[in-house]
Amino acid sequence: MDILVYGIINSVTLSLFSLGFTLVYSISRLPNFAHGALYITTGYFIWLFLNRLGCSYPLSILLGVSLAGLIGAMMYRLVLVRIRGMEISEIIATYAIGLAIIEGLRWGGLRGTTFTLPSFASGSRHILGVSVDDQRLLVVMVGFSVFAILYLFVHLTRNGLALRGIAQDERAAMMLGIDSDRMAIVSFAIGSSLAGLSAALILPLGNIVVEAGYNVLLFSIAVSVIGGLGSWAGAIIASFIIGFAQILTEKFLSAHFQMVIALLAIIITLLLKPSGILGRQKELEERV
Amino acid sequence: MRKKLGRGIAIVAAVMFFGISFTGIAPAAEKPIVIGAPLATAFLYGWVAERGIKLAVEEINAAGGVNVGGRKRPFSVEVIDTRDLEPGVPVSDALLGLEKLILDKNADFIIGGPVRSEAALAAMDLLNKYKKISILTTGALTPAYHKKVAENYDKYKYCFRITSHVVEMANDFVTLLSDVKKGHGFNKVYIMVQDVAHARGGGEAMKKMLTASGWEVVDMKIYPTGTTDYSIALNDVARTKADIIFLWMDMPESAILLKQWSGMKLRALPMGFVNAAEQPGFWKATEGKGEYLIVNLVNGGNAPANITPWTMKFAKAYEKRWGLEPEGYGTSSSYMAIYTLKEAIEKAGTTQSDAVIKALENVNLMGVYGRISFDKATHQIIASNDPKLGAVTGIIQWQKGKRVQVFPPKVAEAKILLPPWMK
Repeated sequence: MDILVYGIINSVTLSLFSLGFTLVYSISRLPNFAHGALYITTGYFIWLFLNRLGCSYPLSILLGVSLAGLIGAMMYRLVLVRIRGMEISEIIATYAIGLAIIEGLRWGGLRGTTFTLPSFASGSRHILGVSVDDQRLLVVMVGFSVFAILYLFVHLTRNGLALRGIAQDERAAMMLGIDSDRMAIVSFAIGSSLAGLSAALILPLGNIVVEAGYNVLLFSIAVSVIGGLGSWAGAIIASFIIGFAQILTEKFLSAHFQMVIALLAIIITLLLKPSGILGRQKELEERV
Repeated sequence: MRKKLGRGIAIVAAVMFFGISFTGIAPAAEKPIVIGAPLATAFLYGWVAERGIKLAVEEINAAGGVNVGGRKRPFSVEVIDTRDLEPGVPVSDALLGLEKLILDKNADFIIGGPVRSEAALAAMDLLNKYKKISILTTGALTPAYHKKVAENYDKYKYCFRITSHVVEMANDFVTLLSDVKKGHGFNKVYIMVQDVAHARGGGEAMKKMLTASGWEVVDMKIYPTGTTDYSIALNDVARTKADIIFLWMDMPESAILLKQWSGMKLRALPMGFVNAAEQPGFWKATEGKGEYLIVNLVNGGNAPANITPWTMKFAKAYEKRWGLEPEGYGTSSSYMAIYTLKEAIEKAGTTQSDAVIKALENVNLMGVYGRISFDKATHQIIASNDPKLGAVTGIIQWQKGKRVQVFPPKVAEAKILLPPWMK
């Protein structure tokens, strides 16, 4: 039973890590390699608002997540808009921004165990006979809520439909009057806010350490590649595959193979189905 | 008016000129003895070593400096960030840093790191090349360091270590666990270690030693650096009814493990080498959920305790200088390394390497964590459970927000407590 319970928790956590990355790519076709940096920056912002400026916890989270969204939008507006379409430059630029943020935080003193966020819930309970702490249950509940809200947003709202339009066929959407750059900014803002939201939920489980930024990016890439670059549903399916594979690895093999499993899954996917589980880059498969 | 102004300027200029001249012709200060400190300053073991070294240097300089053959010379410190604890940074970077300290900064002695074992071992050849004495104070816990000195004394005689090592630490843990076993009837241990060389080595050593001393080692799990969920193993601990969770981890994320342990109210006492739990900030970081954890701080004095008369004096001076209690492994040993070097230089009456080596080999100083003396063949500090005989370890338990010394018995300030759900 612990495999089922913790498999679900781990999978939802991975989905939360990667949803923002997938969303940005699906709309703007830009791989946001600063995704992990935004995750850890949000944690630091929340810590700052809470401990240095004396804001309440909910307000700190709101401000932190909003700032992450703003940084994401600014990243596109100030830097990426100039190099859009030049794939290598996009990767270099986003990776460089991420690296600068993460290493800047390290250089600025974000180290050790002192940077922590309080848990929302401190108790634990038994689910199907397995002991689970309340904070992790909250992660699962919020995770599923985020999936539902995102689904409703892109199916029922004007902006959401515009985002889907761009994701499905950018040229056709532009012919219908949808501003591609504006939608890219919106996607960066939402994607970065999602990175921030996952930080607000997951970082209270441990410490705010810069290395987490790299891990989040790595898992986001793994989930996106396996699920199919740009496919939201694919990302969720891939999260569950990797999530359960990791728990099974920990249970029956050893925890230190968890990252190996994620990377191995990328290689297998690229060999068998290069566009990922629900990816739509058919030309890639044809080429292979 | 202009004349007056001109005169005024001339007077001020003259005063400034003579002032500067007088400064210039004042008796020249003695040439400082340069301490080179290669440290991973972004990590606990690096920054605490830097603070310990600087505190000792400031104290010694304020008291007049080091008496070198009748002349008082001050210490000066040059710190370089070796980054050797950062993932992916090659050992060669730490060696470049060390070489820079010797060649560019003209370091007379090397105190502190390199911090990572691999880098410290690789640095031994450089120290021989430049004939520079080094006192290793932090990080590197591998027994290979002092074994190399013993195997090739002439080449590695420049290398001293004033801190403990993995084998000593494992012995201390086994002794402590024997006491716990007698006191509470525990007999099952579950080992969880980080996937890094020293932790895997420490875990394996503990597994063998505990098995040999009658413990049942239920399982040993190895976790990659950065793991944020330990639920599966902790559920295994509950299922197997282990009495002790033995940890060997130096990643900050190990605080998560303690939070989960407390949340699950597991009937197993956690203990081990847990970097995240060494610092005073651990209590706040875990919202008090790390209470009852037993941690090995490698050397005494890395938390306030009454080991020798110097221990609390050091702890108070550290708190006054840096605004918080001694923080963890590397603090007291780095501080003591400077005083030990001072003692050796004064005995030798020179800073020449061969003379200082002989003096260091014969050092006998009652320090912050017991008697400081080196084994002549290995240049490893002599350890003991009695501070009058040698350097004692600092094993503490988190009790009501404080790090309380619980081992060795001669200097223990409290008994080991069990969490209420284990009673």
